[in-house]
Amino acid sequence: MTTSEVSPATSVPQRDGGRRPGPLAIVLGVAALAVLVAAVTTQRFLTLDNARAILASAAFTGITAIGATLVMIAGSVVSLAASQTATVAAMVFLATQQWGLGVAIVVALACGVALTAVQGAVIGFWTANPIVLTIAAGFAIGGLATWFSGGTPVYAKVPAFDVLNAVPLGLPLAVYVLLVITVLAQWILRRTTAGRQLYLVGENRAAARAAGLPVGRVTVLAWAFFGACIAVTGVFLASFTTSANTSLGGNLTLDAIAAVLAGGTAIAGGNGSALRTLGGAVLLSVISDVLLLRGFSTGAQILVKGVLVLAVVVTVHLRSARGRR
Amino acid sequence: MIRAFGSRPERLLPAVSLLLVAIAFAGSPLLSGKALAPFDFYNALQGFAQLGLLALALGITMIAGEFDLSVVGTYALGGMLAVQTGQSAPLLGLLVAVVAGAAIGAGQGILVARLGMPSMPVTLATYIALLGLTSTLSGGLSKTYANSAATLFVDQPIAVIFSPRSLITLAGFLAAALVLGRTRLGRELRAIGGDRRASRVAGVRVDGILIGLFTVSGTLAALGGALLSYSFASANPDPGLQPLILATVAVLLGGVSLAGGRGLPLGLLAGALSVALVAQIVAITALPDFSTQLLYAALLVVIVAIDAPGLRQMIDRLRARFHGRVS
Amino acid sequence: MTEPLVVDGLARSFGGVPAVREVSFTVGAGEIHALCGHNGAGKSTVVKMLSGQLTPDRGRILIGGDAVRLKSRQAAQRRGIALVDQELSVVPALTVLDNLLLGDIGAPLVNRRRTAMARGRQVLDELGLARVDPDQPLATLGIGERQLVEIARALSQDARLVILDEPTATLSDVDSERVFAAVRRVASRGCSVLYVSHRLSEVLRLCDTVTVLRDGRHVDTSPAAELTVDELIVRMLGQTPHRLAARAAPDPDPARALTIDRLAVPGRLTDFSLTAQPGRIYALAGQLGSGASDVLRALAGLHPRATGTVALHERAVRFRDPVAAARAGLAFVSNDRKSEGLFLDKAIRWNLVATRLPELASAGVLRPRREQRSAQRLATVSGLAADRLGVPVATLSGGNQQKVFVGRNLLRDNVFALLLDEPTRGVDIGGRTAIHRLLRSAADAGLVVLFASTELEELLELGDVIITMRDGRTVGRYDGGVEGTVLMRDMTHGVSAA
Repeated sequence: MTTSEVSPATSVPQRDGGRRPGPLAIVLGVAALAVLVAAVTTQRFLTLDNARAILASAAFTGITAIGATLVMIAGSVVSLAASQTATVAAMVFLATQQWGLGVAIVVALACGVALTAVQGAVIGFWTANPIVLTIAAGFAIGGLATWFSGGTPVYAKVPAFDVLNAVPLGLPLAVYVLLVITVLAQWILRRTTAGRQLYLVGENRAAARAAGLPVGRVTVLAWAFFGACIAVTGVFLASFTTSANTSLGGNLTLDAIAAVLAGGTAIAGGNGSALRTLGGAVLLSVISDVLLLRGFSTGAQILVKGVLVLAVVVTVHLRSARGRR
Repeated sequence: MIRAFGSRPERLLPAVSLLLVAIAFAGSPLLSGKALAPFDFYNALQGFAQLGLLALALGITMIAGEFDLSVVGTYALGGMLAVQTGQSAPLLGLLVAVVAGAAIGAGQGILVARLGMPSMPVTLATYIALLGLTSTLSGGLSKTYANSAATLFVDQPIAVIFSPRSLITLAGFLAAALVLGRTRLGRELRAIGGDRRASRVAGVRVDGILIGLFTVSGTLAALGGALLSYSFASANPDPGLQPLILATVAVLLGGVSLAGGRGLPLGLLAGALSVALVAQIVAITALPDFSTQLLYAALLVVIVAIDAPGLRQMIDRLRARFHGRVS
Repeated sequence: MTEPLVVDGLARSFGGVPAVREVSFTVGAGEIHALCGHNGAGKSTVVKMLSGQLTPDRGRILIGGDAVRLKSRQAAQRRGIALVDQELSVVPALTVLDNLLLGDIGAPLVNRRRTAMARGRQVLDELGLARVDPDQPLATLGIGERQLVEIARALSQDARLVILDEPTATLSDVDSERVFAAVRRVASRGCSVLYVSHRLSEVLRLCDTVTVLRDGRHVDTSPAAELTVDELIVRMLGQTPHRLAARAAPDPDPARALTIDRLAVPGRLTDFSLTAQPGRIYALAGQLGSGASDVLRALAGLHPRATGTVALHERAVRFRDPVAAARAGLAFVSNDRKSEGLFLDKAIRWNLVATRLPELASAGVLRPRREQRSAQRLATVSGLAADRLGVPVATLSGGNQQKVFVGRNLLRDNVFALLLDEPTRGVDIGGRTAIHRLLRSAADAGLVVLFASTELEELLELGDVIITMRDGRTVGRYDGGVEGTVLMRDMTHGVSAA
């Protein structure tokens, strides 16, 4: 078997900025392996249509995952409220359709940013426990959504969102938006003061605090960006399903976290990139696709996803721990 | 009183919350217009049984300063395994579920203790994998449990308000209370949660205890799930995050600190009973679902905010500034 | 041989740097044996090896005549070795009684409450904690009382050997006396005691024998009765370091001074006042718990409960918030570069420019060229190889790491005062000289430099003004020539001038 020779830890030359090549190389190695196996064994895999399907299914989760990447790099671990926030953004988007597409998008984004940034502020300035806080926030947001919607699906009075379901060059618009957001996030992380501070705060919060870096402000910025990404996902979900009920967000929370983790971003913070998350999202999507084509159930897809995420998490941890000793 | 509350929240928080909820429960006939029946107590205890073991599993890991998200996954898997293997022999089903839960817990414990990994990502990934595994076992569908004798048995009323299921759950709490309150292990568990470095220096066998702890946590969650499936006569492959959230509320109301090191099993019991009673109040008075959701969310936010070290620092800072002006 | 403890040729190094080279001594039954040495002499490493927290590279440990390998704390406990660690190692979340029993392998599996209570009561009384209820949470006690509880735990474990590492650093004299009495009692029962302390007069009063270490080597073991504090200091230091006279004071420019007025941190620091002129280096001399480090931490915004007034360049500093303190022009270098200083996994370049990002960016966008230039200049100034800026800081030696940490705060237009806590901890000789030169040049460039240290040589070499501290208070101030022994006396036995 030649495939087994794909070494996961091929020595990528060390780049500056303290980026460790390990996790990325591992994910790429695993991905390459998966694609190879899939290509060899599954006939319908290497078709253009299938590639489109993979990208399309990666888009919704991917957009949220890119936002989650920033939050995780900043060391705030994760948010467990993404699904509910996306649902609310979708509802707001649909309910404001009569004011025109632009206004509806802006209002939905503002809503997502506001909901998420508040959580970021409590986490950044008060060092609240992000897991329990976001669980509570998810609960509250879900409750409010039920309250305001009366538990019934929200429809648009005058749909203005059709353009968002366009398929230029055979790919859904959401895929292009995912790419744009990825590039934007990558640029923020690599090229801006705030992005650099995100890495520093995530790597060593105590050091950042002692050095007088604006820990709280930087954390809020990351969460605000995350909120915007969730809202964009909500907008696309709403356009896609044309209505929004309280369960619209579905498994978005866990899928997004899985994509970020599979991309090799360290959950403890300080490491990671938007590009890796994009890779993680596509990888998970490829795996689902292959399993689907080969007739496995959704359960098996989730199982493989979970095992892969666990493997990556352990590897990333071992690498960083070794680096420190 | 306030000082005592500050120094012993693990006793006062659960006591106060249980008292308040009990008063609300006693007062619920005012809203519903119907007097409380023994059946309402029975139902509340059934709700407690549904949540209790999960809360206990989550609570004991949290006392040791860890957060085991995977308990919901183990809960679902335990329910599914019990239904699939215990159709003819319910005890066998329970055994399979419990062994699987223990194995999963032990595996995670080893990763957390031996590799020094944070428990969050490990248990999160395990949770996702377990959901997938459960779904694979069931083909993604709910499985019915045809052994009606077992279903009737676990829910049969004992002494009007109890059932075997709620009694087993209570027994779990009692056992935990004995171990945590009366043995060296309990002391060491709280020490690990309170200050892991100091515990190690003092000579506590931190790694071994953590592995054992996760094993117990997995066992309890699987047992809870299995009993629930027998009771519902079906197993749901994806219970969602709701059970985790309710269990978290129960644990935090039970006086366990998110930072670890603080908490008593009897406090956990009071916390779980509070949550179960609230659910029963909502059922009796026919309040809309979202109102409980908002109530729990508000409670969690308050607890998290109080627990946040940054908030305390801010208060200290303000106090020092004020003090500095006065003097 | 049936001596309770024999240490024979013990050696241990970290990353190639030897911390303990060759240490041998013997502790007899019922003997109170002191282990003395200046900072970096290797005391803590020896203690860690004897208590099962580190394994030796070479040498033997004999307990009751048997050579043992102590791979863990439990292994040491099983051999009858109890420990009071240098760092406070009790758990605030537990009750006092639980803390007394914690980790004791002799404690029964199932609690026997009555026995434990009676025993706990007794050990608490012995240490003067009669007012403490064993069921009280430890968190309700002060730092000194917590330390006493930890000491009580070690003394109550029926051990063959009790190791006490700086047990009295945070204790008052009254409490210390109680500890001595309890230690003597334990020793009179035949238990051996290894006593590590900086407080030399108490060492001579309490201990039977004194072993002195220097640079990881065994210097000498002699009966305490034959020693005086001054002789002990000379043995610890090799020769007595001293400073002939301070450097000429520059023209004081009050407009650029750092003025600290009645700075206080509850429980740690009492009314510290100082006007520090630019161009001079101010040294705070004090052992652990003296408050020297708390002065710096409070100034840097890391003590939210600090009170007092601080002004820099005639502007009031909001010193309870680290961001505000940094903005006011105070740069802080903590004593723990690993957990509170550097971003270890990140490249040298990132670390060097970490605190000056806004200056290297236009409208929030980083300018890579400017960043590169700035990092290179800083590397050159700090004495780091300018062509290896992409290497993670974690791969550097301690000395070079510290150069990055200090260098990060140099050449900044908006930093007016440098605060350094133990600027050369864990740094080799070469690195030390280089860092001292950096600090001198920073002062020459017009910065206020204030550092805290426990090392005599460093204090004498670098400090233009030396302020000695003990128990959270200022003891003395030396602007001119001073003997090392005087500083040492102030730091270990000094009484507040106030």
